[in-house]
Amino acid sequence: MPAAVASQWRDRRRQVFQSVFQADVAPLAPPSTPSSRLTDPGDPLRYPQQHQQQTHRGRGHTLAPPSHRTSSRRTTPEPSLHAAAQPLFPPAPADDQATYDRAWHIVTAHIALPSSATADDSFGAPAAGPHQQQFSTEFYDAFALLVNASTLLPNATRTGDILAWHVGQVRAHFAQHVIPLLAECVDDEGADPSGEGNYYERHMVIVMSSIRTLEAALRLYFHGLGQLLSGFNRLADASPEAAKDAELLSARFRRDIHALVSNSVSEGLMRSVKAVLIRLAGTILGIPPQEELSTGGGQTARPAAPGPADLNVQAARERLLELVRQLHNVGLAGERFQVLFAEVMDAMMSAFVTGAYAGVWATPDARPFSASVDTVSQSASLSAASPCIVSLNDWVENHFARLSCEVLACISPNPQGPLPVSLADLRTYQSLALGRLAALRIQELFDIVMAWPASRPALDDLRATITTAARRKQLTDSFSRTLQTRLLHPGCSTLEILQKYIAIIRTLHALDPSKVLLSHVEPSLQLYLCHREDAVRIVVSGLLASPEEIRAAKMAKAAGKQQGDTSQGDGNGQTSWRARDPGPFTSPSVPRASRNNPPEQIVQRDITLEAEETSDHSAATSKDGRPRRPTKLVELALLLSDPSQTRRTALDHDEDLDWNDMNWVPDPVDAGANYKRPKSEDVIGTLISALGSGDVFIKEFSAVVAERLLGEPARFDQELRVLDLLKRRFGEAALQNCDVMIKDVQDSRRVDSAIRKGRVGRGQKRRVMATPDKSATPERGTDGIEYHARILSRLFWPNLDREHFLLPPPIVEQQRRYEQAYEKLKSGRKLTWLNQLGQAKVELELKDRTVAADCSTVEATVIYAFQRGEGEDDADADSPPVQKSVGELYEQLQMDEDLISAALQFWVSKGVLRRVAGSSDAYVVAETLQEPDTTAAPSSTLTASALGAPSQPAGTAETASAAEPASSTAGGAGKPRISAKERERREVYWRYIQGMLTNASASMPLGQMAMMMRMLIADGFPWSNEELQEFLAEKVAAGEMEVVGGKYRLKK
Amino acid sequence: MSFMDDNQNSAPSSVQSNKLGGARKAAEPGQNAAKRLQTELMQLMTSPAPGVSAFPSADGNLLSWRATIEGPDDTPYAGLTFKLSFEFPSNYPYAPPTVLFRTPIYHPNVDFSGRICLDILKDKWTAAYNTQTVLLSLQSLLGEPNNSSPLNGEAAELWDKDPALFKTKVMDRHKDIEDD
Repeated sequence: MPAAVASQWRDRRRQVFQSVFQADVAPLAPPSTPSSRLTDPGDPLRYPQQHQQQTHRGRGHTLAPPSHRTSSRRTTPEPSLHAAAQPLFPPAPADDQATYDRAWHIVTAHIALPSSATADDSFGAPAAGPHQQQFSTEFYDAFALLVNASTLLPNATRTGDILAWHVGQVRAHFAQHVIPLLAECVDDEGADPSGEGNYYERHMVIVMSSIRTLEAALRLYFHGLGQLLSGFNRLADASPEAAKDAELLSARFRRDIHALVSNSVSEGLMRSVKAVLIRLAGTILGIPPQEELSTGGGQTARPAAPGPADLNVQAARERLLELVRQLHNVGLAGERFQVLFAEVMDAMMSAFVTGAYAGVWATPDARPFSASVDTVSQSASLSAASPCIVSLNDWVENHFARLSCEVLACISPNPQGPLPVSLADLRTYQSLALGRLAALRIQELFDIVMAWPASRPALDDLRATITTAARRKQLTDSFSRTLQTRLLHPGCSTLEILQKYIAIIRTLHALDPSKVLLSHVEPSLQLYLCHREDAVRIVVSGLLASPEEIRAAKMAKAAGKQQGDTSQGDGNGQTSWRARDPGPFTSPSVPRASRNNPPEQIVQRDITLEAEETSDHSAATSKDGRPRRPTKLVELALLLSDPSQTRRTALDHDEDLDWNDMNWVPDPVDAGANYKRPKSEDVIGTLISALGSGDVFIKEFSAVVAERLLGEPARFDQELRVLDLLKRRFGEAALQNCDVMIKDVQDSRRVDSAIRKGRVGRGQKRRVMATPDKSATPERGTDGIEYHARILSRLFWPNLDREHFLLPPPIVEQQRRYEQAYEKLKSGRKLTWLNQLGQAKVELELKDRTVAADCSTVEATVIYAFQRGEGEDDADADSPPVQKSVGELYEQLQMDEDLISAALQFWVSKGVLRRVAGSSDAYVVAETLQEPDTTAAPSSTLTASALGAPSQPAGTAETASAAEPASSTAGGAGKPRISAKERERREVYWRYIQGMLTNASASMPLGQMAMMMRMLIADGFPWSNEELQEFLAEKVAAGEMEVVGGKYRLKK
Repeated sequence: MSFMDDNQNSAPSSVQSNKLGGARKAAEPGQNAAKRLQTELMQLMTSPAPGVSAFPSADGNLLSWRATIEGPDDTPYAGLTFKLSFEFPSNYPYAPPTVLFRTPIYHPNVDFSGRICLDILKDKWTAAYNTQTVLLSLQSLLGEPNNSSPLNGEAAELWDKDPALFKTKVMDRHKDIEDD
């Protein structure tokens, strides 16, 4: 079936072709169609008769237009022909027409094309045999008659143009015989199962057989033409111009034939030509063919400019040029071929750029370019000599342009003309290639950012190539899109986003020091970060990252780089800074004094606190001995210590005045009006400003600092450093709170030791109070509890709310004493204890083990409640373990139930408590590690939790009065801080409203009230009208207000 | 003194600019006053004193306030509410506000148009006083008039001689005003 369809289609195509080209041979050259009827050229009599019969009727108008056309086309040669021919042929009075017809017959028979052509061979060598030679004189005579018919045979009325006839005959022949042959070439090969055999070889065969067919056909056609031309030449022996005329004729004929050929080329052939071109050009340009790319390993198939000595390349080049020459000769190198070639070269350039440079940011190969780079590419290379650009320019110049030049030279109509590829063209090629490189790099930009700083060369590429505003726009657009899809989605942690953001800042700053690009990319990032509530906190804690964490992060990075010996690197990461630490894999432990544990002695710690807290710290960075995913933005701390980051303030000042800056360049065109260029990359500054206003940042900062100050660290170097930095940025006043907080902590150390000295008084061993809030002392008199406190100035610490619960009696006793001592020391001041903020060191002696833990005061209090009452301890050794439910604890401790549950969970996780089976909220002490159902567990020597001292006394006498405005209704522990704050705020707003309606005006509409609030509240009034309305509606519902005529008023 | 005068002269214009919200410069004297008043208002709201309250007037002019004093118990004014107006100069707090009773009041140190004779509102004014202290002073003035320099002689006389009549006069004179 396909065959039938194909043949049908072929027929139709032929019809169309003929209708278009008027190649209908019969009307064009009726007198002499060399059909089989007239095969005998030697019968002069019969032919004219026939001719007359045929033509007189049929020809009149059909022949006229073509002949007219041809003669008008050939205005130049004809006069000279006539002039040359006249003397040779004297006019004959009669029978001119018959003579002419006979001559026509002779000539046409002579140059007639073979009627059947089934194979290439049939076209083969139709030329000069002895047979032809015999007739040559006769032919020439006849030819002379024909050419000079008007003078030699004036009476012959029906004359024709023998050349036009030949063209017509050629067309008919081509259409009838050659085209089917060509189609066969393509079809036969195309029918091959494409899976087998070499793709390229197959197409090469198609192309070559087509070329051979065409070559043979053309030889045939040109043989006929050659005959005619030789006739001309013989006629024109005398005049030198005739040779030129013949040449002209020949060229014209050639052009016609080429047009014919190229117009009739089938798609299939062009496909094959394309395939061949791609393969050959690919080899020459160093681009591996596609099938290898897809199958072979990625590394080996990377395109690279071939070396000059590569034999394959030379062979391919010769083959290609030969092919092109052949194509040109048969007329296949017409416009379609040129378009095809351009397409192929275009694809080659893209393939080379993407293939050779995708993901390659460093020097693609080590080959020295100096040999091949000559002056042209040096001057053409835009600004930077990034390795990729250099090699790309080199490739364009020495391979791409060379190939184009060679191929175009082959098919150019006048080979003597100037080179088809000019220097300007070369520049164009190079800029095209760079454009593609830019597009590639833009696509890769996100990866480049990720790989910073290893990707610096790629940035050089970009910097050199994004020279136009359009490309810059393309870059920012594309990058923003990538950000959306790859970074700004819920799958990325805020930390990750911030890290990437830092990388983006640095990269884009390196790419474009004016920061315009960055400013175009940033908004979407900033907008997104606003949704991440933890962003500010992460930045702050990143800034405050301790040196150990930084070092650990560095090590982790290094370890990640050299995959091989991770354990090595991470061991360093931990031990390097403190050689005394036992080793990377042991969790930090404190050497403890030997205890001869009497049950009453609860805890015993000695003076190794310093050692302990530092090792605590490094433990935080890698507790489990593996390089952890960084949980902090330590990059910021690194930057903070980088002096180049802080130089900014000095530079900014005289930036505008630097008239001597010879490297000054104007801002890029895409910079907005009034764009102010920042000079240094200033990552921290950019980041902080990206996170919203300074207020937010400072608030968060003081919250974090407060938390850290209440924690264990003994020194605040990092805090102070960051504080200094922030002061420079935000001003001294804004950070006053932090100053006070730090001073509080430092002061309380002094006070604490003073109190202890005064209290202990009796030659107690002196201690370094490094961590003032905990540590136990062997001192027996005070239950062995060492108690420290920090005294905070209430007004300057954020979020100091009281959480009420009952501390264990020994601690209460300690607090009382401490309080007394304090009041003695600073008269007129009194302490308000913030019990929930402290820490405790607890050691639990269970039946089969001892558990030591650092915990919060809340947790310590809860576990203390499980302690056996005094006196029971040893007596009831066989009593079952202590069991308590949440409800009981609630009554006993008066602690918030949520806190109780959390604390219980903590101890369950420590293995100290376990939930009683069958009960929802009862817990029992796990005296032994075995399952609890073994009632045989003999003794329960839960000896006691020792409490370090919880303590955050707050406030001074003068602030005491207003100390607890909001805590009176301290309710659910879920978010007590937020709601307390919010409650307080609402309270204040309510007073404003009351004051307003009492004084300003007895009744007011909502809008005016909102406006007044906004105007009058110094800190700003964040509520929208709707929120205010809601608030007022609550008050109305509570009966405190009423709405009259759209206005609110207080109820009397 | 000349500094003072200058400020007095420029007061109206700076009040104007305050109204328009145009003056943002801290150097503007009216702006300092406004800031101070904003702070005072905040203090009044966060730690209110019993029996007195004050608030800027409804037109949004921070230099013009309305205040309320409740008559202290154990005085003839117990149970009564008095409205006052405060007009702050643009160089406030370096000059005292002008305070008037808007509610008619029968009191030895207040005349019939509401003007008050109180030293801290005149020559004893210092910048340490604020709206709240003024209001508290006035409140105590209700219970302890300064009869040595009365504006209302009759009232001064009656205060000592005939408290019952004084009380009647107070009740006669008092009239709740309802204004917007």
